[in-house]
Amino acid sequence: MIKRKPQVCLEIESDLVAAATGDAEPGAARRVEHHIGACAACRVEFGRYREIDGVVGALRRAPAAADSVARAREGLEARLADLRSRLVSYRVFPSPLGHILIARSEHGVSLVEYLDERADLGASRLSRIAGVETQEDGAEIEALYRELLEYLRGDRVRLEWPLDLRLARSDFHRAVLQATAAIPYGAVTSYAGIATHVGNRSAVRAVAQALRWNPLPIVVPCHRVIGSSGSLTGYAGDKLPLKQQLLGVEGVPILRARRDFHVARDTMYVRDHDEVEYCLPTCGSLASRTLANLTLFASRERAESAGLAPCTACRPDLHPLSA
Amino acid sequence: MMGAQPFETIVGAHHAEIFRYLRRVTSRASEAEDLSQETFLRAYRAYRTLGPDANVRAWLFAIATNLSRNHFRSEKRRRVAHQAVSTARREADPEGPEDEAVFSEARTLVEATVRGLPLKQRLAFIMRKIHDLEYEAIGRSLDCSAESARAHVFQALRKIRLSLNGHELPPVARDTGGVERRESPPSPHVPSPHVPSPHLPPPTGRRGAGTPPSVTSPTNMEQP
Repeated sequence: MIKRKPQVCLEIESDLVAAATGDAEPGAARRVEHHIGACAACRVEFGRYREIDGVVGALRRAPAAADSVARAREGLEARLADLRSRLVSYRVFPSPLGHILIARSEHGVSLVEYLDERADLGASRLSRIAGVETQEDGAEIEALYRELLEYLRGDRVRLEWPLDLRLARSDFHRAVLQATAAIPYGAVTSYAGIATHVGNRSAVRAVAQALRWNPLPIVVPCHRVIGSSGSLTGYAGDKLPLKQQLLGVEGVPILRARRDFHVARDTMYVRDHDEVEYCLPTCGSLASRTLANLTLFASRERAESAGLAPCTACRPDLHPLSA
Repeated sequence: MMGAQPFETIVGAHHAEIFRYLRRVTSRASEAEDLSQETFLRAYRAYRTLGPDANVRAWLFAIATNLSRNHFRSEKRRRVAHQAVSTARREADPEGPEDEAVFSEARTLVEATVRGLPLKQRLAFIMRKIHDLEYEAIGRSLDCSAESARAHVFQALRKIRLSLNGHELPPVARDTGGVERRESPPSPHVPSPHVPSPHLPPPTGRRGAGTPPSVTSPTNMEQP
């Protein structure tokens, strides 16, 4: 025959279990204390739960097999390393140049991309790269975005971001990007100049292709690379107006001639090859040469920020170009 | 610009405990391995969004619990897990020789009962009684209130109590070995069955308000 517990014992049962296993609120503990003082059956129950708590305590302290913990940890480290190499966090932002996606890996910024109509991941190259795991991220990329906006306003001349060039398609592309990254703010050089710089004078088209696929426009300033004739040529496929805008921010003078844009080279200072001086555009035979081995600067400040001294022959410091 | 602490630190501080938790929740070591790895991979994807004063440990338990629940959601897997209960191995017994037999029998029974509990009760019980998590944190892990979490633990203990009916249990009042045996006794003054003490322990035990957790417990590194 089953004896039914009195109602009062049923009601206090959960508090009793909690009290016996060290888990009761003070009020509940006092009620239990009071009750088991009077109820022999619950006193026994209390003792029984104390014993169970002792057994559970032993379970708590039972050591887990150290080797299985170590094996699990080893497996985790391998999978983490793999994830880290593949994980790219990104965000899409509005900007004066339209929607821009910024993405970074553990190593650095890996992609800056102009998005046309669709301002989401689906429109991005990122969604089509095999093996990459993407993740929308907040604060970290937001900081990059703020710097980019400052840059686009002309309030910042350098984006000193750690770069991850793994999205470049080949070592040649990477070399082109590195050469391009060295072009100073407010200066332009030519595709032929970059080709010479990476050691292959005839690879002008290949350089143009590499820059067309530049995964880091603005940061790797491919907008500072123009045709040898001074024509802006092209930018990120069909985005020539953005190139004009970016050069405008840096003070590079642009002229529109029919359907084409040219830099106004007769109002820019010139560096020949790797000279340590900058010249007036009329110095020596400079005016008659193509831009193949020349770098043009928007102002003396820009040339001097790049570490150049005024030419001792044409003395741009004494006869500056009129603004 | 990264999270409050480098991820390696998080792995170093919590991996072993999370693995042990999952090892208790699952029936096979390989499952615990997979789930613990998955837990930390998820954590890696998200940890940069953690606030500086986030309770990382409770957060990892929540991820691990969530993954376990998904893992067990399939009825078939659950049956496999239950079958494994009967073949569950004993772990090395850390107790002294005297009570070894009694203890190890009781422990085996408790472990078997825990493995047979409904999933939420099992998870709540392990988080509370083995890993000392707060009911608030357990509730968040299980998508329920702290009160429900407490009720799950109560039900689990009740079932354990029933499963031990008729079994001898090691006595608790062996005060000589008290410190080693029960590093966090529920109460310093247990009311004797015959002479009820005038005081039940103040805030009763290790988790009571204001009572610091036991010093030797490996699980009391919980961040505020």
